[in-house]
Amino acid sequence: MLTIDSLSKSFDKGKNYALEDVTFDLKAGHVCAIVGESGSGKTTLVRLIAGLERPDHGSISLGDKVIASLDKFVQPEKRKIGLVFQEYALFPHLTILDNVLYGISKLKNKKERAQEMLDLVGLSNMGKRYPHQLSGGQQQRVALARALAPKPSLLILDEPFSNLDAMLRTQLRNEVFDIIKKTEVTVLFVTHDTQDALSVADEILILQNGKVVQKDAAANLYVKPNTLYVASLFGSTIHINKNLQTAFSCPLKESCCHAIRNEKIKVNPSANDPHCEYITRAEVVKKVELGDSTQLLLKLESGEQLSVMTQDKNVADTINIGFNSKDILEFDHE
Amino acid sequence: MKQVGNKNEAFSLKTRLKRLKRDSNRWSVFTLAIVFFLALPIIFIGVELFSGPGETWSHIVRYLLPEYIGNSLYLVFLCSILVLILGVSSAWLVSRFNFPLRQQMEWLLILPLAIPSYIVGYAYAGIFDYGGSMNLLFRQLNLDFIRIDIMNRAGLAFVLSISLFPYVYVSARAFFLNQANNLLEASKMLGVGEGKTFFRLMLPLARPAIVAGLVLVLMEVLNDYGAASYYGVNTFTTGIFRSWFSLEEPETAVYLSALLILIIFALILFEKWQVRKVKFSSSKTNSTQIQRKRPKKSMQWLIFSVVFLPVFLGFVLPVTQLIYWAVLTASTVFDMQFLIISLQSFGIAITSAIITVFFALLLIYFSKWSTLLSIKNIARVGVLGYAIPGAVIAIGIMIPTLALDKWLIKMFGNFGIDSGLIINGTLIALLYAYAVRFLAVAYNPIESTALKVDSSIPDSSKVLGVGNLKTFFKIEFPLIKTGVFSAVILVFIDVMKELPLTLILKPYHIDTLAVKAFEYASDEMVMEASIPSLFIIFTAMIPVIFLNKLLIKK
Repeated sequence: MLTIDSLSKSFDKGKNYALEDVTFDLKAGHVCAIVGESGSGKTTLVRLIAGLERPDHGSISLGDKVIASLDKFVQPEKRKIGLVFQEYALFPHLTILDNVLYGISKLKNKKERAQEMLDLVGLSNMGKRYPHQLSGGQQQRVALARALAPKPSLLILDEPFSNLDAMLRTQLRNEVFDIIKKTEVTVLFVTHDTQDALSVADEILILQNGKVVQKDAAANLYVKPNTLYVASLFGSTIHINKNLQTAFSCPLKESCCHAIRNEKIKVNPSANDPHCEYITRAEVVKKVELGDSTQLLLKLESGEQLSVMTQDKNVADTINIGFNSKDILEFDHE
Repeated sequence: MKQVGNKNEAFSLKTRLKRLKRDSNRWSVFTLAIVFFLALPIIFIGVELFSGPGETWSHIVRYLLPEYIGNSLYLVFLCSILVLILGVSSAWLVSRFNFPLRQQMEWLLILPLAIPSYIVGYAYAGIFDYGGSMNLLFRQLNLDFIRIDIMNRAGLAFVLSISLFPYVYVSARAFFLNQANNLLEASKMLGVGEGKTFFRLMLPLARPAIVAGLVLVLMEVLNDYGAASYYGVNTFTTGIFRSWFSLEEPETAVYLSALLILIIFALILFEKWQVRKVKFSSSKTNSTQIQRKRPKKSMQWLIFSVVFLPVFLGFVLPVTQLIYWAVLTASTVFDMQFLIISLQSFGIAITSAIITVFFALLLIYFSKWSTLLSIKNIARVGVLGYAIPGAVIAIGIMIPTLALDKWLIKMFGNFGIDSGLIINGTLIALLYAYAVRFLAVAYNPIESTALKVDSSIPDSSKVLGVGNLKTFFKIEFPLIKTGVFSAVILVFIDVMKELPLTLILKPYHIDTLAVKAFEYASDEMVMEASIPSLFIIFTAMIPVIFLNKLLIKK
């Protein structure tokens, strides 16, 4: 449905790349989350797809039509892509209804369509108000209604929940995606929050420094991350370097990079636990009570420091820790 | 390895050319056309340099040029010192201390800007005249041995400074109000006294803002013709007039103009260099307002007098003198012809304000819609006209339009039509010149309000299927209306006050209030000049107050 081929964009004539050689495609009806830290190129990518920036290399196709390449550029107003901006970008001088009507002025039954959209987002009676009279969450839903009104083939949400506090965020995320599911539109969803991505996306694309590091189904990303970076995005992870390998006496392939998730490290495993092959002794340097669990800062005999979580309230000053070979994550490079 | 290939390929000449072809749109072409149109007068001065200097050039270089340079530098130097003292001290006192009538003083200090320098010059010439109020006062006090002659270059420097210092005041005050508070508090917490805080902390930090205001003052000083010619001081600008009108040597006027442009560019470079040196000052505006100190009552009145002095000298005194003259001459000056001139002046100012704002809007939005990055930098060139003295712009327009008219007359002559001058000596040339000179006055307020509109707003309009032009009319224009309106008013005031450019380019049968005031004054009828002067002052005053409201809001 959406095909991106070796897309590159630089804002300083090739010295640095905001996006470099990005290639992926998106199936119709899917929800794809783009995850990355700020500066990873997420926003540049969606602005390129929407037509608000022009690529320096590569191409973007929607369906079987090329919408941006080196020879061709379809204006944003001709692309029929819906975009919900991070800051909503409602037109402050127009009413809610006029905001929703804005993109469908050529439609025959535009009034009905606009009202239908307001009903869909649960703001049926708010049509006559102005954006500044609405709460943040309501503005968000207006932006969604406005973007959905022209029946876009692709809907892009750019960090839609980053302006909201944590409580409202979860609630609104569920609401928004319930609405979106009713419309069966294809969705690209930009976020820096892996929880957001995991909870709604069919597949997740990870961007780092303008490059795609992995694109996979949500479940696979946790189990089979491509790099240490991806692994650490989905929960804190310990890099098993040479020193740790010696400490746990677990020799690993030298050409690869290995890691273990913190939660997979067992504290005081029983001596003949079949699920705990590599064990070492560690000194507890510091305990941090975190309510129902305790974080332990440990120092190994080799001098390496690492931290683990435990439910055990009464840990001794020196403990055993261990893990299973099955839980080791293996990457080609860091 | 594919990535490396992509990287090299993305900025190879071939791909760049492909992108240039893809990204150049009609807006790029339009932007370039407008910039070229606005830069044309300057380009012509550059081109004309190649046709060689006039016959009197060597004479001028030997006998007059040293005087032009000497006087211009003298004015630049003395005015700098005076406006810095007046502008910075008043800005600091007004933003740092509480004293009687402080709030009124805040905007009264801007009022001198409502009076064109040449009119301040006429008023002071009258005040210090042999029969003027100052001599009367001295005689009353038995001090008639004191005789102050103001009609010289020191007097001119005083007159220019007292009418132009608000440029420094406004930019320094904006800095003190918006940026200074947390630094001030930090300094206080470190136990540093008031004086040291000002000289060691505030003054160095405010320097870019102060220099920006100072450069505006100096541009106006070099632009001045009316006051310098009345005070008999030969400067570059009076030199340009003399070679144009008396010597009738356009080539010489062009050479002088080119030299003057060089001096202005040196000034602009100086400003850029000063601003770059102080890059460390934070550009973030501080939301907390500066805390004002309330000194002892006697001290408060002292501060009041220090702040009131420039208002008195720059506004109250000259306006009083003008009103006194106006009462004496009202019966002879007010007639049908004066009414017509007022209306013409008004009409020209409002027309050119609208045209100029229109050009500013075209330049801002066309360059925005042009997807070539380099176009956006080129657009700024169109704003440089404000730095170029009016007389220079007038010469740069006069020469090509005369040539064009000659050609047109010949062409029409072929068909047996006597067309006369079509552009030169008509309103078209004058309005064009105003647009070139005052584009920046319109461009800056519009651009700053346009920048406040988040780019996602027009972007989302486009994503919703609406093109550039319609987005502008439906979304952007409603949101920048106030900026556009204040731009119209600002250009309107500047055109009302403008003298040198108008003198050279105006059609012979049309007069403006500024020209009328100048003509009276040059015809030894300075008292009669008071009424057109007061008209200019009062039309300019209302918007100056309005402008201050706008500044406070910011």
